[in-house]
This record gives sequence, structure tokens and C-alpha cells, in this order.
Amino acid sequence: MTDMIVEATVNGRRQRRPAEPFQRALDFLRDELNLTGTKEGCGAGECGSCSIFVDGVLVKSCLVPVAKIAGRQVDTVEGLARSGEMTAVQKAFHKAGASQCGYCIPGMVMAATAALRANPDADREEIKERLGGNICRCTGYQKIFDAVEMARDVLNGKLSASIFDEVDATDGKYIGVNVRRIDAPSKVTGALRYAGDMTMADMLHVQVLRSPHPHARIVALDVTAAERMPGVEAVITSADVPGQDGFGVFVHDQPVMARGKVRYVGEAVAAVAAESLADARRALAAIRVEYAPLPAVFDPEAAMAAGAPVLHDYAPDNLVKHIPIRKGDVEQGLRDAELIVEQTYETQPVEHAYLETEAGLAYVDHDGVVTVHSPSQNITHHRHMMARILNLPINKVRMIMSPVGGGFGGKEDMIYQGMLALLAMKSRRPVRLVFTREESIASTAKRHPSRTTYRMGLTRSGRILASQISIIYDGGAYGLSTEGVVRKGAILGGGPYNIPNIQIDTYGIYTNNTPSGAFRSFGSLQSQFATESHLDICAERLGLDPFELRLKNAMHTGDLTHTKQPLRSSSMSEVLEAARKVSRWESGVPNVRGAVRTDLGGEGARQPCTLTPRLSSENAEAPTARRGAA
Amino acid sequence: MLTCDHYLSPASLADALAAAAAAPDFRFVAGATDLLPWAREGRAGDVHVPVMIDVANIPELKEVRVAEGRVWLGAATPLQRFLDHVDLIGAMPGMPDCAIWFADSQIRESATIGGNIVNASPAADGIPPLLTANAVVELAALRAGAVRRRRMPLADFITGPGRTVAERDEIVVGIACDALNGYGGAFEKVGHRRSLVISTVCLSVVVRIGAEEALEDVRLAVGGVGPVPKRMTEIERALTGHPLTSDGLREVAGLCDGFVRSRSRQDYRKSVVPGFLRRGLVKAMRRAGASAAMGAIAEEVADD
Repeated sequence: MTDMIVEATVNGRRQRRPAEPFQRALDFLRDELNLTGTKEGCGAGECGSCSIFVDGVLVKSCLVPVAKIAGRQVDTVEGLARSGEMTAVQKAFHKAGASQCGYCIPGMVMAATAALRANPDADREEIKERLGGNICRCTGYQKIFDAVEMARDVLNGKLSASIFDEVDATDGKYIGVNVRRIDAPSKVTGALRYAGDMTMADMLHVQVLRSPHPHARIVALDVTAAERMPGVEAVITSADVPGQDGFGVFVHDQPVMARGKVRYVGEAVAAVAAESLADARRALAAIRVEYAPLPAVFDPEAAMAAGAPVLHDYAPDNLVKHIPIRKGDVEQGLRDAELIVEQTYETQPVEHAYLETEAGLAYVDHDGVVTVHSPSQNITHHRHMMARILNLPINKVRMIMSPVGGGFGGKEDMIYQGMLALLAMKSRRPVRLVFTREESIASTAKRHPSRTTYRMGLTRSGRILASQISIIYDGGAYGLSTEGVVRKGAILGGGPYNIPNIQIDTYGIYTNNTPSGAFRSFGSLQSQFATESHLDICAERLGLDPFELRLKNAMHTGDLTHTKQPLRSSSMSEVLEAARKVSRWESGVPNVRGAVRTDLGGEGARQPCTLTPRLSSENAEAPTARRGAA
Repeated sequence: MLTCDHYLSPASLADALAAAAAAPDFRFVAGATDLLPWAREGRAGDVHVPVMIDVANIPELKEVRVAEGRVWLGAATPLQRFLDHVDLIGAMPGMPDCAIWFADSQIRESATIGGNIVNASPAADGIPPLLTANAVVELAALRAGAVRRRRMPLADFITGPGRTVAERDEIVVGIACDALNGYGGAFEKVGHRRSLVISTVCLSVVVRIGAEEALEDVRLAVGGVGPVPKRMTEIERALTGHPLTSDGLREVAGLCDGFVRSRSRQDYRKSVVPGFLRRGLVKAMRRAGASAAMGAIAEEVADD
């Protein structure tokens, strides 16, 4: 390569460092200057985790070639609080609790700082617009906007800076009290290190070769050319797994890398550890794989049919799990009903889209202990599985949970940690893998798509006599959390209603889709969507207010749940009444209430966003003329 | 990922053209906001471009001039300038709404108007407002040892999705437009998210109002509905020369279907364009000084 030297003033200090001509400003800051407060979330200019100032102008550093910062003044989140004292914006983020997983927060702090510099009096709408290039997946933005308003008011003198130091008195009670997060200062200053921020001396970079086929036999897999390439230290395939090759949350059906066949597009087939990412990417292209495509199945009902392609030998019917629940006599209940409503409901796969993609760092320590840092939501289980996979006693395996930059259930699965451990063992050097956004979306679990068939029998007055429910969950190519998801969907499938006769069958099915896994709600969202939609439809058919129908059937203390557990306490009716009150619910049957709703808007209701608050004021004054002191 | 051997930042047009002539394989770069997302999985994937030639530092390409009824936009003018350059806001009333809809302020600081037209996306936000300003593109290339410059209307420059008449070693130097001081402008757009969103449909309107509220000059362009953004000349003709009436608006709304030639979601787009036309026209007319009563006309036909 060339001997490119980049000179720039970064956070007030002159820097002169070598750079690759194709590096992005983001890479230069992170890899050369170790300024890892600037995060990479999407790598495509969409999320704003990498926002920096170049000559005072806020830009997304993942879109900026490094040559563009040469000779410029660059400021990163680390440069805001250079003296160690946090800025008003950072203190406000801490005070307002605007730092949940923390991964988007350095970028948010940068964007907030830019917003208040551009307009020290920006109102909430303008703040929203100026932060529009920054995405958060945890907080729902309200606390972030609260924080920017608080910082604005302190900077303007409308609020005393002492507000930053005020803490709620707890009196030993913590419910209903604002408690400061102890890790927030490290999040708002960019000091907190996520797995992708960690480095070790002599560290190698990992890239993964992935299957282009949904279902295919691997006829030949040759990595010898890749192993001989410059910069490459180790290449692994399933042949390098020394122990029992299988992991998963319930069923250990997933190999570290495809073994014999691939079952979905994006499945890992081989992995490379090399001196640089570019070297590793080049080596992937040199791995030769010969596939013999197999018939694939993408619909779970088709996968349940006789003669469907079989994904796993141990499950000839493609069944991951069936959970049946029986209570009372459903046939009798339906016979007694005055109205039977049947309907099918479907939900789609959903991507977690945590801003921190999957990442990890592994090494073998001085005592021969294989150590993996990763944002895992299930660390002990990972350690047990890893010991079996590596064929090592458990005291030779160490899993360290790094800060989780958004998990939502998706980081329960052990997906790439096995590859990292194997590469560290084979290369005897530290190795790091950071998924690209595309890789994260292509290869890791989604929320289970589902198809629910509902049959409900009711009296004319709205009492539910029987529910017959079947939910088919598309588990995708591997089990992951499917068994638990199916179980939760069954237990909660009938909803919080006292139903004397109920029959629920939930099925988790293998298909050649991307594996499905845990995702906020763990299977119950799908059944709740079906149940609550179904009740609304029943309310219309019966001419009842939907709240009345629910209150009529709500579980009370002493009732039996669907699994015949006596309920020792239930506040369902109180919750419904409270919700009815605060939502200003206009009582009546939804489809006969008329064209005008009286329960919308009103005090406390959030107004819709306005477009272009900056333009609507018709203010043509150049923003640069009104710089503030944020 | 994107790799290259050399990244050049020439300081003059002559140097940039010379660098292109000397390089066997190269790519021009300006704001680079499309470049790095392009070299990713699912799009171009791993790409090696031996030489990158960054034209954003060439003074001529950074120049913005408003004089004598004309606007000159250097190709490397960032989109954000349409929101904060007072002369541009006055002379290009179709642009501020467009710019605020164009990604987010961080990307607008990098992304350039020249890059937007060179990419020639059917959904490029910057193109419809430029079409309504009768934009002319100036190109420069090295031919027989000398810099050859040529100009052509923007409408002729873009030939299809991602395709232009620019030769591979030709640089877009800038864009000359009508200065539309005294006009009212509007830009309507729909997409999935206010920031960061690519247009599903966008529509640019500029209007000049004359005596008795007659529409002296009406210019309309639509994007996202076909292979290239287009002026809606038939509709412009039908509206010009007299005040807007509800019947007139109904009539031209009926002409919108003919512009929708997209490969997907045609019905959706056909239902969106007339609404944008109504709303954009009335907004632009108000900004051009028309009476508030004109707003009633759009409302009258809103439920058609």
C-alpha cells in the first residue's frame, strides 16, 4: 500500500499518523487514535452513532474518507469533556436517564451539542429535527429530547445548573424514584468499551464466509489457498471443532460452522483470522466451496406436510416442539356458544436492529484458558456449551460479558463465539470479530413469524365459553429459543381471560428461513396480537364495547389459569379501568361510533410531528450567525 | 468493503483531469455519502478502485454565485447550503423544502448537488427542483491536451436510472439555473422516515403570480415515479396564464396518471401525485404572495 500520512488536529491535539487511503475517518479515529467513543452502528450513514465535528460541522464519520479530515480540526465525543468535567449536555443526559444501552448516546450527545450550538433556543420540534440523523433503539427518544431541553435551559440560564446534581430522596425505596445510572457517565462521555471497541496487542481480525444457499449439501470445502494468503494466520471450518459441535438455547442443533450442509442463506461456513480486515476479506474470496443445492422449504405449514424437505435428521417431521394445553371440554363449550368467531392472524419476522452489532474478542491466556468477551445475555449457558464444543474442562473456558449495546433477546444466542474461540486457539493470538450491519441482519435471529388460527365461542352477552387456538411459529433453520417461545405462546395464548374450556396447540417448525429466536415478549406477542384482535372483532360482532367484553371475561383472584393454576392475586380489572380512564375512552362499539372520535387529542395527548420547524418560522438567517456555547 | 491504492485530493480542475488521464482505473468522489454505502454487502460488495479522485476541494466546484437572473452552483455545493445561504434561499425557492427532506443535516453537510445529479437516481430529491429552475449542466474533460467544456440541459444530461451522458473522465463542474426571486416554491415528498428517507414520490413546484392572481409562470417536476425525474409540461401549460380554479385543478389532477411509469406500486403513486400537485401548488402560490382564498381551492378538491 501507499505511505499515506494524515495530519489533523483531533480534540485540540495535533496528530500525524499513517493511514490506509481507503480508511474512513471513523476507522482512523478508532483504530489509529483509539478514540472508540465514536461508534459504528450501520456503517452506511443511517444511524448517527459515529457523528463527529469536522471544522465545527457535524458529519457522519462512516461516510467520510480519511483524506477529507487531513488538515482539519476534528472533535469527537472524547473531546467535549476534555478537562474531565462533563459538559452541560452530557450532565443533562445523565440526569434525564437518557443513556439506556448507551451505544447511540455518544452520537446523540454530539448531535445535541450541534443542535444547541446552531440554535441555543431550539424548541422540541427543532431538536427532534436536528437529531433526526441519529437513531436510538432503547429509550424511545423521550428522555433524550428531555435531556437536550434541560441542557438548553441550563445553558440559557432558565434553569440552575444545580439541577444536574439533584437526586431524588429514596428513603430506602426505589420504586417510583429516579435513580441515577452508575454507568451513565461512561456512556455519555464515550469511555465505555463495547466488545467491538476492545483491542489487544497483536490482535487479528476475523471475517466469516457465509452460505449463499438456503439448503445445500457441502460437496467440497477447500481453504488451502486462503491459508497461504499474505496476512492470513488461521482459517477454520467445522473440521476444526474438537468437541461436540452443537449449540442452542434448548436444543443444541446448531454447529459452530455448517457441518455437511447449509440450512439458511447467511449460515457460517468458514472463518478467517488475518492481520487486517482487508486481508481477511481477500482470503474469504479464496475459499472454494462446492454446494449441491437441496430442495428448501420456507413456509412452516409446508414444512409440516408429508414429504416436505427435512432439515435435521433428528427431526424427520421438522418439528422443534409442540406444546398442547387442555382445560375443560372445548367441543361442549363451542356447542353451547351462541356465536362462534373464526379468524387467522399472521405476524412477520422482525429484526432486533440493536445499534451495536454482534462482536467479540477472544484469546487464550497465559494459563491456557480460552477467554471470550462478547455482549451475551446468557453467559453461563454459553460457557457450558463452549466447554463441550472445545472439548475442554469448564475451568479452561472463560466467558466475559461485555456491555450490551442493545440486546432485546437477540444476544441470548451463542452464534459467533465458538468461531472466535477456535480461531484464538488455532492462531494463538487474540482475535476480534465485529459483524457488519448486513451480516447481523442476514445471519442472526429474528422474532418468530407466526400464524394463529382462532376459534372462539361466546354467549350473546359476551361471555367466552371456549377458545380453540393453534399457533404455528416459523423457527427457521435452527432451534435457538424456539422451544421456550412456543411454550410461552401456549401458556399465554388464551390471554388474561377466564375461559372454562380451552385448547391451545403451539408448534415450532424448522424451515430454511433465517433462524428465529428470542425477541422482547418471547412468543407471547404473537398470541396476544391474535387474542386482542380477535376480541375486538368479537366485540363488533356482539355489539359490545371492547372494554366491556374484556372486563366481562377478565381473570379474577381465585380463577384458574389456562394451565389450571389457581390465581392468588389478579388486578386485571383495575388495570383495564385505569387504562379506560386515562385514555379518555369513548364507550361504545367501535364500528358504530360515528365519524368523529371524541377520545382523541385533548390534554396530555402528544401532538403529531410538524415538518420543517426551521422553515415554518420563515427564518432565513444563517444558523452560523447564532452560535451558542453548548 | 471499499479499498483503493491512492486517494487524491487535487486542488484544481486541471490537476483533477490530469490525474484522471494518468489513472488506468479511477472514480471521482465528491461528498462520498453514496460511495461508502455502495461498497457494501448487498450492493457492490467488496470493491477495489485503484485511484479515488476527490473533486470536493476544487475552488471552482465550491463556488456559489447569484447574479443577473442566474444562479451558479458549483458541483461540490453541499445540500445544506440551500437551507442557510441567504442568496440561494431567495433565488431557488423550490430548494429549501427539498433540502430539509434530504436525509439529515449531517449528510446534507457532506452530500453535494453535483453528486446527486451524477448518481441520476430516479428518486434523487435534488433533480426535480433543478428541472423547475431550467438547470444547465457544465462538464469538463481533457481532450487533446486541453480542457474541453460543454453545457447541456439537465433534462438531457440524465438518460436513465444511474445513467448520464457524462463520459467516464468528464467532471461535472457546476449547474447554472434561473434565479427565481419573487417566485414561491414547494417540495412534496413521501417516504418511510422524515430523516434518512429515500423518496417514494417527490414533486417540486415553483410559481410566479401576476396581476389578479394569474399564474404567470408555473413549473412542476416529479420524481420517483419513473426512470428519470420529469417536468410536467402539459400540466404547466394548462395552468399558465389565468388564476387557479377548482375545475382547472381537477382537470390537471387527471393528467397526473400519465407520469407514473414506475416498475412497482403504480396505483399507490398514482394516488399520491395529484395530492402533491394540489398541496404543492397552493403552498407555492401562498409563498408567491397569492391570497389565502387560493387555499380554499385546494381544500375544495381535496376529497376528489
